[in-house]
Amino acid sequence: MTGAPLLAIEGVSKIYRRGPFDRTPAFRLDVDCRFDGPEIVGVMGPNGAGKTTLFEMIAGSNVPSEGRVMVAGHDIHRVRYRERDRLAIHYHQSYQVRRFSRTRPNFMLEPAGSDYPIVHLFDEPQFNTQDGYIGFMLDFFRKLRSEGRLVFICLHPTAPMHLELLEEICERFFFVGGGTVRPFADFDSIVSAPDARTYLGELAP
Amino acid sequence: MALFEAHKLHLRFGDRVVLEEVSLSFETGKLSGIMGPNGAGKTTCFNVLTGHYKPDRGHVLFDGADITGRSPQAIARLGIARSFQLMNLFDEFTVFENVAIALPQTRKRGRDLLGQAYAEPALVAEAHEILDTVGLGARADDNAKALPYGERRALEIAVALASKPKLLFLDEPTAGLGSDGRDRLAELVRRLKGQVTIVVIEHDMEFLFGLADDISVIHWGQVIAHGSPAELRANPWVKNSNLGKLA
Repeated sequence: MTGAPLLAIEGVSKIYRRGPFDRTPAFRLDVDCRFDGPEIVGVMGPNGAGKTTLFEMIAGSNVPSEGRVMVAGHDIHRVRYRERDRLAIHYHQSYQVRRFSRTRPNFMLEPAGSDYPIVHLFDEPQFNTQDGYIGFMLDFFRKLRSEGRLVFICLHPTAPMHLELLEEICERFFFVGGGTVRPFADFDSIVSAPDARTYLGELAP
Repeated sequence: MALFEAHKLHLRFGDRVVLEEVSLSFETGKLSGIMGPNGAGKTTCFNVLTGHYKPDRGHVLFDGADITGRSPQAIARLGIARSFQLMNLFDEFTVFENVAIALPQTRKRGRDLLGQAYAEPALVAEAHEILDTVGLGARADDNAKALPYGERRALEIAVALASKPKLLFLDEPTAGLGSDGRDRLAELVRRLKGQVTIVVIEHDMEFLFGLADDISVIHWGQVIAHGSPAELRANPWVKNSNLGKLA
Protein backbone atom coordinates (compact mmCIF):
# COMPACT_ATOMS: atom_id res chain seq x y z
CA MET A 1 0.00 0.00 0.00
CA THR A 2 1.80 3.11 -1.18
CA GLY A 3 1.33 6.35 0.69
CA ALA A 4 0.52 4.60 3.97
CA PRO A 5 2.58 5.78 6.95
CA LEU A 6 5.52 3.50 7.84
CA LEU A 7 3.95 2.99 11.25
CA ALA A 8 0.61 4.01 12.74
CA ILE A 9 -0.21 2.97 16.29
CA GLU A 10 -3.94 3.65 16.42
CA GLY A 11 -5.68 3.87 19.80
CA VAL A 12 -3.60 1.04 21.23
CA SER A 13 -3.99 -0.01 24.86
CA LYS A 14 -2.41 -2.93 26.63
CA ILE A 15 -3.94 -3.93 29.91
CA TYR A 16 -2.62 -6.68 32.17
CA ARG A 17 -5.10 -7.63 34.89
CA ARG A 18 -4.29 -9.02 38.32
CA GLY A 19 -5.83 -12.40 37.52
CA PRO A 20 -8.77 -14.20 35.94
CA PHE A 21 -11.09 -13.30 38.83
CA ASP A 22 -9.65 -10.02 40.03
CA ARG A 23 -10.08 -7.86 36.91
CA THR A 24 -8.36 -4.80 38.40
CA PRO A 25 -5.74 -3.58 35.92
CA ALA A 26 -2.21 -4.20 37.22
CA PHE A 27 -0.58 -2.54 34.22
CA ARG A 28 -1.85 -0.26 31.53
CA LEU A 29 -0.13 1.34 28.55
CA ASP A 30 -1.87 3.67 26.07
CA VAL A 31 -0.25 4.64 22.78
CA ASP A 32 -1.41 6.63 19.80
CA CYS A 33 1.09 7.95 17.27
CA ARG A 34 2.16 7.75 13.65
CA PHE A 35 5.37 7.93 11.65
CA ASP A 36 4.95 8.96 8.04
CA GLY A 37 8.57 8.60 6.93
CA PRO A 38 11.97 7.28 7.97
CA GLU A 39 13.32 8.42 11.31
CA ILE A 40 15.54 7.37 14.20
CA VAL A 41 13.53 7.46 17.41
CA GLY A 42 14.97 7.16 20.93
CA VAL A 43 12.83 5.43 23.57
CA MET A 44 13.56 5.89 27.28
CA GLY A 45 11.69 5.05 30.43
CA PRO A 46 11.94 3.24 33.76
CA ASN A 47 12.12 -0.57 33.94
CA GLY A 48 8.66 -2.06 33.91
CA ALA A 49 7.07 1.02 32.31
CA GLY A 50 6.31 -0.90 29.13
CA LYS A 51 9.16 -0.23 26.66
CA THR A 52 9.47 -3.88 25.66
CA THR A 53 5.68 -4.33 25.65
CA LEU A 54 5.50 -1.40 23.20
CA PHE A 55 8.13 -3.03 20.95
CA GLU A 56 6.36 -6.40 21.14
CA MET A 57 3.04 -4.86 20.09
CA ILE A 58 4.73 -3.15 17.12
CA ALA A 59 6.51 -6.39 16.13
CA GLY A 60 3.26 -8.36 16.36
CA SER A 61 4.30 -10.70 19.17
CA ASN A 62 2.05 -9.18 21.86
CA VAL A 63 -1.60 -8.49 20.98
CA PRO A 64 -2.96 -5.11 22.15
CA SER A 65 -6.09 -5.17 24.32
CA GLU A 66 -7.51 -2.40 22.14
CA GLY A 67 -6.58 -0.61 18.92
CA ARG A 68 -4.32 -1.71 16.06
CA VAL A 69 -0.78 -1.37 14.80
CA MET A 70 -0.41 -0.63 11.09
CA VAL A 71 3.01 -1.15 9.47
CA ALA A 72 3.18 0.20 5.92
CA GLY A 73 -0.58 -0.25 5.62
CA HIS A 74 -0.71 -3.79 7.09
CA ASP A 75 -2.30 -4.59 10.44
CA ILE A 76 0.71 -6.47 11.84
CA HIS A 77 -1.47 -8.70 14.00
CA ARG A 78 -3.25 -9.97 10.89
CA VAL A 79 -0.04 -10.88 9.01
CA ARG A 80 1.31 -14.46 8.86
CA TYR A 81 3.45 -15.14 11.92
CA ARG A 82 6.63 -16.00 9.99
CA GLU A 83 6.30 -12.89 7.85
CA ARG A 84 5.71 -10.33 10.59
CA ASP A 85 9.44 -9.68 10.90
CA ARG A 86 9.45 -8.65 7.23
CA LEU A 87 7.48 -5.62 8.44
CA ALA A 88 8.78 -4.97 11.96
CA ILE A 89 11.72 -6.76 13.58
CA HIS A 90 12.50 -6.79 17.30
CA TYR A 91 16.22 -7.11 18.13
CA HIS A 92 16.56 -8.22 21.71
CA GLN A 93 20.15 -7.55 22.86
CA SER A 94 22.37 -9.15 20.22
CA TYR A 95 19.69 -11.18 18.45
CA GLN A 96 15.93 -11.15 18.01
CA VAL A 97 13.51 -12.97 20.25
CA ARG A 98 10.37 -13.95 18.46
CA ARG A 99 7.83 -16.07 20.17
CA PHE A 100 4.37 -15.72 18.76
CA SER A 101 1.32 -17.14 20.45
CA ARG A 102 -0.29 -18.67 17.40
CA THR A 103 -3.99 -18.12 17.77
CA ARG A 104 -5.03 -18.33 14.14
CA PRO A 105 -3.99 -20.61 11.28
CA ASN A 106 -1.71 -19.00 8.70
CA PHE A 107 -4.21 -19.35 5.83
CA MET A 108 -6.45 -16.85 7.58
CA LEU A 109 -3.62 -14.32 7.70
CA GLU A 110 -2.14 -11.97 5.10
CA PRO A 111 1.31 -11.99 3.47
CA ALA A 112 3.71 -9.23 4.54
CA GLY A 113 4.55 -8.04 1.04
CA SER A 114 8.09 -7.11 2.03
CA ASP A 115 11.49 -8.90 1.93
CA TYR A 116 13.40 -6.73 4.34
CA PRO A 117 12.00 -5.27 7.58
CA ILE A 118 10.54 -1.75 7.42
CA VAL A 119 10.54 -1.04 11.17
CA HIS A 120 13.66 -1.97 13.19
CA LEU A 121 13.24 -2.12 16.97
CA PHE A 122 16.52 -2.23 18.89
CA ASP A 123 15.77 -3.23 22.47
CA GLU A 124 18.61 -2.28 24.84
CA PRO A 125 21.47 -2.84 22.37
CA GLN A 126 24.76 -3.43 24.16
CA PHE A 127 26.77 -0.26 23.80
CA ASN A 128 30.27 -0.87 25.08
CA THR A 129 32.72 2.00 24.59
CA GLN A 130 35.74 -0.25 24.96
CA ASP A 131 35.48 -2.25 21.78
CA GLY A 132 34.52 0.37 19.21
CA TYR A 133 31.50 -1.48 17.80
CA ILE A 134 29.25 1.45 18.77
CA GLY A 135 30.54 3.46 15.82
CA PHE A 136 29.52 0.72 13.37
CA MET A 137 26.15 0.31 15.08
CA LEU A 138 25.39 4.03 14.81
CA ASP A 139 26.39 4.04 11.14
CA PHE A 140 24.11 1.06 10.58
CA PHE A 141 21.15 2.92 12.15
CA ARG A 142 21.86 5.86 9.83
CA LYS A 143 22.10 3.54 6.82
CA LEU A 144 18.71 1.96 7.63
CA ARG A 145 17.20 5.43 7.89
CA SER A 146 18.76 6.54 4.59
CA GLU A 147 17.20 3.46 2.97
CA GLY A 148 13.76 4.58 4.10
CA ARG A 149 13.43 2.47 7.28
CA LEU A 150 12.05 3.47 10.64
CA VAL A 151 14.46 2.81 13.52
CA PHE A 152 13.67 2.70 17.25
CA ILE A 153 16.40 2.52 19.87
CA CYS A 154 15.25 1.69 23.36
CA LEU A 155 17.83 2.42 26.01
CA HIS A 156 17.88 2.57 29.76
CA PRO A 157 20.79 5.00 30.24
CA THR A 158 23.27 3.97 32.92
CA ALA A 159 26.23 6.12 31.85
CA PRO A 160 26.59 9.68 30.47
CA MET A 161 27.83 8.11 27.22
CA HIS A 162 24.41 6.51 26.65
CA LEU A 163 22.77 9.93 26.64
CA GLU A 164 25.48 11.34 24.39
CA LEU A 165 24.88 8.71 21.78
CA LEU A 166 21.08 9.05 21.93
CA GLU A 167 21.54 12.80 21.43
CA GLU A 168 23.89 12.15 18.51
CA ILE A 169 21.76 9.61 16.67
CA CYS A 170 18.05 10.23 17.45
CA GLU A 171 15.85 12.81 15.79
CA ARG A 172 12.87 12.36 18.07
CA PHE A 173 12.21 10.84 21.46
CA PHE A 174 9.57 8.94 23.35
CA PHE A 175 9.25 8.72 27.09
CA VAL A 176 7.44 5.61 28.33
CA GLY A 177 6.14 6.13 31.86
CA GLY A 178 3.00 6.60 33.91
CA GLY A 179 1.02 4.36 31.54
CA THR A 180 1.59 6.50 28.44
CA VAL A 181 4.07 7.06 25.64
CA ARG A 182 4.83 10.76 25.22
CA PRO A 183 6.62 12.20 22.19
CA PHE A 184 9.34 14.87 22.42
CA ALA A 185 10.55 16.84 19.42
CA ASP A 186 14.22 16.80 20.43
CA PHE A 187 16.78 15.79 23.02
CA ASP A 188 16.62 19.05 25.00
CA SER A 189 12.88 18.84 25.49
CA ILE A 190 12.92 15.24 26.78
CA VAL A 191 15.76 15.86 29.22
CA SER A 192 14.00 18.93 30.59
CA ALA A 193 10.67 17.12 31.24
CA PRO A 194 10.29 16.70 35.02
CA ASP A 195 9.46 12.96 35.04
CA ALA A 196 12.29 12.22 32.60
CA ARG A 197 14.68 14.18 34.84
CA THR A 198 13.55 12.20 37.88
CA TYR A 199 14.09 8.99 35.93
CA LEU A 200 17.56 10.01 34.73
CA GLY A 201 18.62 11.16 38.20
CA GLU A 202 22.27 12.16 38.26
CA LEU A 203 22.62 11.53 34.53
CA ALA A 204 20.23 14.40 33.67
CA PRO A 205 22.26 17.12 31.92
CA MET B 1 38.29 -10.17 -9.20
CA ALA B 2 36.20 -11.73 -6.46
CA LEU B 3 37.13 -15.37 -5.93
CA PHE B 4 34.22 -15.91 -3.58
CA GLU B 5 30.95 -14.06 -3.27
CA ALA B 6 27.90 -14.31 -1.07
CA HIS B 7 24.82 -12.56 -2.36
CA LYS B 8 21.94 -11.59 -0.02
CA LEU B 9 22.04 -14.65 2.23
CA HIS B 10 18.98 -15.11 4.40
CA LEU B 11 18.62 -17.84 7.00
CA ARG B 12 16.21 -18.42 9.86
CA PHE B 13 16.10 -20.96 12.65
CA GLY B 14 12.41 -21.28 13.49
CA ASP B 15 11.02 -17.86 14.37
CA ARG B 16 14.46 -16.32 14.56
CA VAL B 17 16.30 -14.60 11.72
CA VAL B 18 19.98 -15.51 11.98
CA LEU B 19 21.24 -14.07 8.69
CA GLU B 20 19.61 -11.10 7.02
CA GLU B 21 20.66 -10.04 3.50
CA VAL B 22 24.32 -10.88 4.05
CA SER B 23 26.47 -10.01 1.04
CA LEU B 24 30.24 -10.54 1.10
CA SER B 25 33.02 -10.58 -1.47
CA PHE B 26 36.54 -11.98 -1.10
CA GLU B 27 39.20 -10.98 -3.63
CA THR B 28 41.87 -13.37 -4.96
CA GLY B 29 45.13 -13.18 -3.01
CA LYS B 30 43.68 -10.92 -0.30
CA LEU B 31 43.06 -11.47 3.36
CA SER B 32 39.47 -10.62 4.25
CA GLY B 33 38.18 -10.40 7.78
CA ILE B 34 34.75 -10.97 9.26
CA MET B 35 34.34 -9.60 12.74
CA GLY B 36 31.53 -9.00 15.18
CA PRO B 37 30.60 -9.33 18.83
CA ASN B 38 29.74 -12.71 20.35
CA GLY B 39 26.42 -14.05 19.12
CA ALA B 40 26.43 -11.77 16.08
CA GLY B 41 26.12 -14.65 13.60
CA LYS B 42 29.75 -14.97 12.44
CA THR B 43 30.05 -18.74 12.72
CA THR B 44 26.55 -19.29 11.30
CA CYS B 45 27.60 -17.18 8.34
CA PHE B 46 30.77 -19.26 7.96
CA ASN B 47 28.69 -22.42 8.08
CA VAL B 48 26.58 -21.19 5.17
CA LEU B 49 29.64 -20.15 3.16
CA THR B 50 31.24 -23.59 3.61
CA GLY B 51 28.08 -25.61 2.94
CA HIS B 52 27.28 -26.75 6.49
CA TYR B 53 23.95 -24.88 6.38
CA LYS B 54 21.81 -24.16 3.35
CA PRO B 55 20.50 -20.58 3.20
CA ASP B 56 16.74 -20.00 2.84
CA ARG B 57 17.49 -17.38 0.20
CA GLY B 58 20.58 -16.00 -1.52
CA HIS B 59 23.56 -17.41 -3.40
CA VAL B 60 27.16 -18.38 -2.80
CA LEU B 61 29.55 -18.14 -5.77
CA PHE B 62 33.07 -19.58 -5.96
CA ASP B 63 35.26 -18.96 -9.00
CA GLY B 64 32.15 -17.84 -10.86
CA ALA B 65 30.17 -21.04 -10.14
CA ASP B 66 27.03 -21.14 -7.97
CA ILE B 67 27.82 -23.48 -5.06
CA THR B 68 24.75 -22.68 -2.94
CA GLY B 69 23.45 -25.76 -1.15
CA ARG B 70 26.36 -28.04 -2.13
CA SER B 71 27.67 -30.37 0.57
CA PRO B 72 30.72 -29.36 2.65
CA GLN B 73 32.64 -32.22 1.00
CA ALA B 74 31.78 -31.02 -2.52
CA ILE B 75 32.76 -27.47 -1.57
CA ALA B 76 36.04 -28.67 -0.04
CA ARG B 77 36.87 -30.55 -3.25
CA LEU B 78 36.58 -27.32 -5.21
CA GLY B 79 39.53 -25.97 -3.23
CA ILE B 80 38.07 -24.43 -0.09
CA ALA B 81 39.62 -25.45 3.23
CA ARG B 82 38.47 -24.38 6.67
CA SER B 83 39.68 -24.58 10.21
CA PHE B 84 37.24 -24.90 13.08
CA GLN B 85 36.96 -23.18 16.43
CA LEU B 86 37.18 -26.65 17.94
CA MET B 87 40.23 -28.30 16.46
CA ASN B 88 40.03 -31.43 14.34
CA LEU B 89 43.28 -33.34 14.58
CA PHE B 90 44.28 -36.98 14.89
CA ASP B 91 45.68 -36.84 18.40
CA GLU B 92 47.33 -40.27 18.36
CA PHE B 93 49.19 -39.54 15.14
CA THR B 94 52.38 -37.55 14.75
CA VAL B 95 52.45 -33.99 13.52
CA PHE B 96 53.97 -35.21 10.25
CA GLU B 97 51.27 -37.87 9.84
CA ASN B 98 48.46 -35.38 10.38
CA VAL B 99 49.75 -33.34 7.45
CA ALA B 100 50.73 -36.32 5.28
CA ILE B 101 47.21 -37.79 5.52
CA ALA B 102 45.74 -34.52 4.32
CA LEU B 103 47.88 -34.35 1.16
CA PRO B 104 45.73 -35.04 -1.91
CA GLN B 105 48.29 -37.54 -3.29
CA THR B 106 48.01 -39.62 -0.11
CA ARG B 107 44.24 -39.45 -0.06
CA LYS B 108 44.02 -40.77 -3.61
CA ARG B 109 45.78 -43.98 -2.58
CA GLY B 110 42.96 -45.09 -0.35
CA ARG B 111 43.92 -47.79 2.16
CA ASP B 112 47.24 -47.89 4.02
CA LEU B 113 47.58 -44.14 3.75
CA LEU B 114 50.57 -43.77 5.98
CA GLY B 115 52.65 -46.68 4.74
CA GLN B 116 52.52 -45.08 1.32
CA ALA B 117 53.26 -41.62 2.62
CA TYR B 118 56.42 -42.73 4.41
CA ALA B 119 57.58 -44.73 1.38
CA GLU B 120 57.48 -41.85 -1.03
CA PRO B 121 60.20 -39.23 -0.64
CA ALA B 122 58.24 -36.58 -2.57
CA LEU B 123 55.32 -36.81 -0.14
CA VAL B 124 57.59 -36.75 2.89
CA ALA B 125 59.36 -33.70 1.54
CA GLU B 126 56.11 -31.92 0.83
CA ALA B 127 54.68 -32.58 4.29
CA HIS B 128 57.89 -31.28 5.86
CA GLU B 129 57.82 -28.19 3.69
CA ILE B 130 54.30 -27.38 4.89
CA LEU B 131 55.34 -27.96 8.49
CA ASP B 132 58.28 -25.58 7.99
CA THR B 133 55.88 -22.96 6.63
CA VAL B 134 53.81 -23.04 9.81
CA GLY B 135 56.89 -23.25 12.04
CA LEU B 136 56.41 -26.86 13.16
CA GLY B 137 59.41 -28.38 11.30
CA ALA B 138 61.09 -29.41 14.54
CA ARG B 139 57.91 -30.98 15.90
CA ALA B 140 57.29 -33.40 13.00
CA ASP B 141 57.76 -36.59 15.01
CA ASP B 142 55.87 -35.52 18.14
CA ASN B 143 52.39 -36.80 18.81
CA ALA B 144 49.74 -34.21 17.94
CA LYS B 145 48.30 -34.40 21.44
CA ALA B 146 51.68 -33.39 22.91
CA LEU B 147 51.53 -29.97 21.25
CA PRO B 148 50.67 -26.89 23.26
CA TYR B 149 47.52 -25.05 22.24
CA GLY B 150 49.14 -22.46 19.96
CA GLU B 151 51.05 -25.12 18.03
CA ARG B 152 47.88 -27.19 17.64
CA ARG B 153 46.37 -24.17 15.90
CA ALA B 154 49.39 -23.97 13.62
CA LEU B 155 49.07 -27.70 12.88
CA GLU B 156 45.42 -27.29 12.04
CA ILE B 157 46.37 -24.59 9.54
CA ALA B 158 49.06 -26.93 8.13
CA VAL B 159 46.41 -29.63 7.64
CA ALA B 160 44.19 -27.13 5.84
CA LEU B 161 47.12 -26.03 3.64
CA ALA B 162 47.96 -29.64 2.75
CA SER B 163 44.84 -29.83 0.60
CA LYS B 164 46.32 -26.94 -1.48
CA PRO B 165 43.23 -24.78 -1.17
CA LYS B 166 42.48 -21.78 -3.35
CA LEU B 167 40.65 -20.32 -0.39
CA LEU B 168 41.40 -20.82 3.28
CA PHE B 169 38.77 -20.05 5.93
CA LEU B 170 40.00 -19.63 9.52
CA ASP B 171 37.35 -19.63 12.23
CA GLU B 172 38.47 -17.65 15.32
CA PRO B 173 42.10 -18.71 15.05
CA THR B 174 43.09 -16.76 18.18
CA ALA B 175 40.42 -18.39 20.38
CA GLY B 176 42.02 -19.65 23.57
CA LEU B 177 45.46 -18.19 22.77
CA GLY B 178 47.39 -15.87 25.07
CA SER B 179 48.94 -12.68 23.71
CA ASP B 180 52.17 -14.50 22.91
CA GLY B 181 50.43 -17.27 21.00
CA ARG B 182 48.34 -14.69 19.23
CA ASP B 183 51.39 -12.77 18.04
CA ARG B 184 52.97 -15.96 16.69
CA LEU B 185 49.75 -16.88 14.91
CA ALA B 186 49.52 -13.38 13.41
CA GLU B 187 53.08 -13.85 12.13
CA LEU B 188 52.11 -17.18 10.54
CA VAL B 189 48.98 -15.78 8.89
CA ARG B 190 51.03 -12.84 7.60
CA ARG B 191 53.49 -15.27 5.97
CA LEU B 192 50.63 -17.14 4.27
CA LYS B 193 49.07 -13.96 3.00
CA GLY B 194 49.53 -13.58 -0.74
CA GLN B 195 50.18 -17.32 -1.22
CA VAL B 196 46.52 -18.22 -0.70
CA THR B 197 43.29 -16.26 -0.44
CA ILE B 198 42.36 -16.13 3.24
CA VAL B 199 39.17 -15.30 5.13
CA VAL B 200 39.47 -14.93 8.90
CA ILE B 201 36.56 -14.79 11.32
CA GLU B 202 37.62 -13.13 14.50
CA HIS B 203 36.17 -11.11 17.33
CA ASP B 204 39.64 -9.87 18.23
CA MET B 205 39.59 -6.51 16.39
CA GLU B 206 43.25 -5.74 16.98
CA PHE B 207 44.35 -9.02 15.38
CA LEU B 208 42.24 -8.40 12.28
CA PHE B 209 43.07 -4.73 11.94
CA GLY B 210 46.76 -5.65 11.78
CA LEU B 211 46.33 -8.28 9.05
CA ALA B 212 43.27 -7.80 6.87
CA ASP B 213 42.98 -5.99 3.56
CA ASP B 214 39.28 -5.48 4.13
CA ILE B 215 36.85 -6.23 6.92
CA SER B 216 33.11 -6.86 7.12
CA VAL B 217 31.52 -6.18 10.50
CA ILE B 218 28.61 -8.50 11.33
CA HIS B 219 26.04 -7.79 14.02
CA TRP B 220 22.40 -8.84 14.38
CA GLY B 221 23.03 -11.32 11.57
CA GLN B 222 23.71 -8.47 9.12
CA VAL B 223 26.73 -6.75 7.62
CA ILE B 224 26.64 -3.45 9.50
CA ALA B 225 29.93 -2.04 8.20
CA HIS B 226 32.55 -2.82 5.56
CA GLY B 227 35.87 -1.26 4.59
CA SER B 228 39.63 -1.34 4.89
CA PRO B 229 41.07 -1.27 8.41
CA ALA B 230 42.00 2.40 7.82
CA GLU B 231 38.45 3.27 6.75
CA LEU B 232 36.92 1.49 9.74
CA ARG B 233 39.42 3.10 12.09
CA ALA B 234 38.41 6.56 10.86
CA ASN B 235 35.06 6.16 12.67
CA PRO B 236 35.16 8.58 15.63
CA TRP B 237 33.72 6.01 18.07
CA VAL B 238 36.36 3.49 17.03
CA LYS B 239 39.07 6.14 17.46
CA ASN B 240 37.93 6.75 21.01
CA SER B 241 37.73 3.06 21.93
CA ASN B 242 40.56 0.94 23.26
CA LEU B 243 41.18 -0.18 19.71
CA GLY B 244 41.69 3.38 18.50
CA LYS B 245 44.14 4.01 21.31
CA LEU B 246 46.18 1.01 20.19
CA ALA B 247 46.53 2.39 16.69
